[in-house]
Amino acid sequence: MALIELRDINKTYNNGQPLHVLKGINLDIERGEFVSIMGASGSGKSTLLNILGILDNYDTGTYHLAGKLIKDLTESKAADYRNRMIGFIFQSFNLIGFKTAVENVELPLFYQGVPRRERHAKAMEYLEKLGLTQWATHFPNEMSGGQRQRVAIARALITKPEIILADEPTGALDSKTSVEVMQLLKQLNKEEGITIIVVTHESGVANETDKIIHIKDGIIGNIEENTTHSAWDGSVMK
Amino acid sequence: MRDLINEIWNSVRNNRLRTALTGFAVSWGIFLLICLLGAGNGIINAFQGSSDRFVTNSMDIMGGRTSLPANGYREGRWITLDRGDLDIIEGKEFNDQVDMVAPVTSSVSDKMALGVKTVSTSMQGVTPEYLDIEKINMDKGRFINPLDVEQRRKVVVLSTKHEKELDRNLIGKWVNMQGFSFKVIGIYHSDESDWRTSAYIPYSTMKGIFKPGEEIDDIYITFNGVSNVDQSLDLENTISSRLKAHHKAHPDDPNAIWIWNRYTQNAQISQGQRLISIGMWILGILTLISGIVGVSNIMLISVKERTHEFGIRKAIGAKPGKILSLIIAESVSITAFFGYVGMGLGMLACEIMDKTLGQRSMNLGFDTIKMMDNPTVGLDVAIEATLLLIIAGTLAGLVPAWKAAKVKPIEALRAE
Repeated sequence: MALIELRDINKTYNNGQPLHVLKGINLDIERGEFVSIMGASGSGKSTLLNILGILDNYDTGTYHLAGKLIKDLTESKAADYRNRMIGFIFQSFNLIGFKTAVENVELPLFYQGVPRRERHAKAMEYLEKLGLTQWATHFPNEMSGGQRQRVAIARALITKPEIILADEPTGALDSKTSVEVMQLLKQLNKEEGITIIVVTHESGVANETDKIIHIKDGIIGNIEENTTHSAWDGSVMK
Repeated sequence: MRDLINEIWNSVRNNRLRTALTGFAVSWGIFLLICLLGAGNGIINAFQGSSDRFVTNSMDIMGGRTSLPANGYREGRWITLDRGDLDIIEGKEFNDQVDMVAPVTSSVSDKMALGVKTVSTSMQGVTPEYLDIEKINMDKGRFINPLDVEQRRKVVVLSTKHEKELDRNLIGKWVNMQGFSFKVIGIYHSDESDWRTSAYIPYSTMKGIFKPGEEIDDIYITFNGVSNVDQSLDLENTISSRLKAHHKAHPDDPNAIWIWNRYTQNAQISQGQRLISIGMWILGILTLISGIVGVSNIMLISVKERTHEFGIRKAIGAKPGKILSLIIAESVSITAFFGYVGMGLGMLACEIMDKTLGQRSMNLGFDTIKMMDNPTVGLDVAIEATLLLIIAGTLAGLVPAWKAAKVKPIEALRAE
């Protein structure tokens, strides 16, 4: 069984006019893959990501994550699964402003009930891994965008999740930092074998991944194998 | 626990204005409540103090002036009480109900001298019973005793005011009143709010020296067997009609005999105290409600403001219960802290009231009472009120907190 198994996922939003966003998504993602989901805005890629991240429900179909059926979960069960199985990286970093870098990184472990010392030691370990040791006690607004995104990555990694979901991870970064962040994700995938799914609308970003899943009008289009990273002509990322 | 304290401290430190506003709402609510209850208690205590100064089942009987013609007399005739009235009251008819009877004869203000010092004072001739009926509080020495009356001794009981004006050690000294020397045998307590400043001498001495003849100014009586206002009015009316008959006044004349019925007065005062107390509690509860509304209002805003933060927390694994307990813990600590600050300030304000208004008196004509007596609130009431506000504030904050906990993480993340 694949790590992620989506079978005929349908999702309709009912805001006045019913909007059929996902029209039968079938998708398998194996452990250790580095994939991107590409699509224009309105294609349903964000909705798909939200469903993958257990942030939103779907109407029909089945979603198995690491063998567990993710359907009609209670809020607290969903929170628990998110905490243990999924690491999020957001476009806008989503760090808590009044917490220092190390406190932000610790937070997922806090919700697991890990003791303070252990949590702190672990957070420092991950910050060191991402080269942020000297920034540990700084607040997010004292850091650059790249540093903030690295703090967010450390926070996503600290629970050793099954998958990392990155929603436009470079969307708020300049091109140089974007390359650095993508290199970092690539390295994490290669060296630690972490499954990473990147949602993006930028070809340059998608090209860094090994597999590009195109989504259009709520259905999966072609799936490009991209192990040679030649899906894109190599012009400037942005 | 330490994590929770850290979380609270962090969020308080980072939301100073919000914390200050909540704190102010809470402190102000409790402060007002404590002040109100304190002032109410002060007024109630003042009334209490004034009715504590006499025996409640007593009456002061005085002669009046007729307003109706009767038995061939025209209206407007002055009635003076005499030996006959005393005999009626002490007689068989009232034997069961009337306990103590104390006739009093007063003289108008005149000079009293000790050496070269002179003060002006009124003089009252009284019997030993007067001490108990009027609850006179002896400071030093003794009051008039039966032997003083029997032997018509020239002795006098003065007030602490006299003592202050004349001499620190008055007991045993001789003061001069209208040419006669009286030996001071006792000093009774008379404070700022007390209308009693007379010099008391034996009734018989008064009659013998200054006011010979039949007339009696007041007859004080105490009675028993009265358990409600109606019964006390019955007794008052019976006495009044007997005395009117004795003085050949019209039976329906309301002005011929004056009776100050302390039983009825006390009942009225009790009623007044009850009303004040009820009023204070109503005001207090309204104040509390406004405090609660303030707290929950600010909670609502605060929760709204932090929706995005809660979204982040939820995305990385915070269960709804964790969000709920974080908000509640935060509001409880803020409310509790500022609640106790408000309570402390309120009690301080009560102390200040005690030192200022508590020392001032009010003249009610027949009586002088303190504006406020001990206008403070017991620590237990204060703490209870503060606890009530904390609990109620938390309950009020539960609704927004519950909403925040239930918002879907995806919606919360979208909020900015």
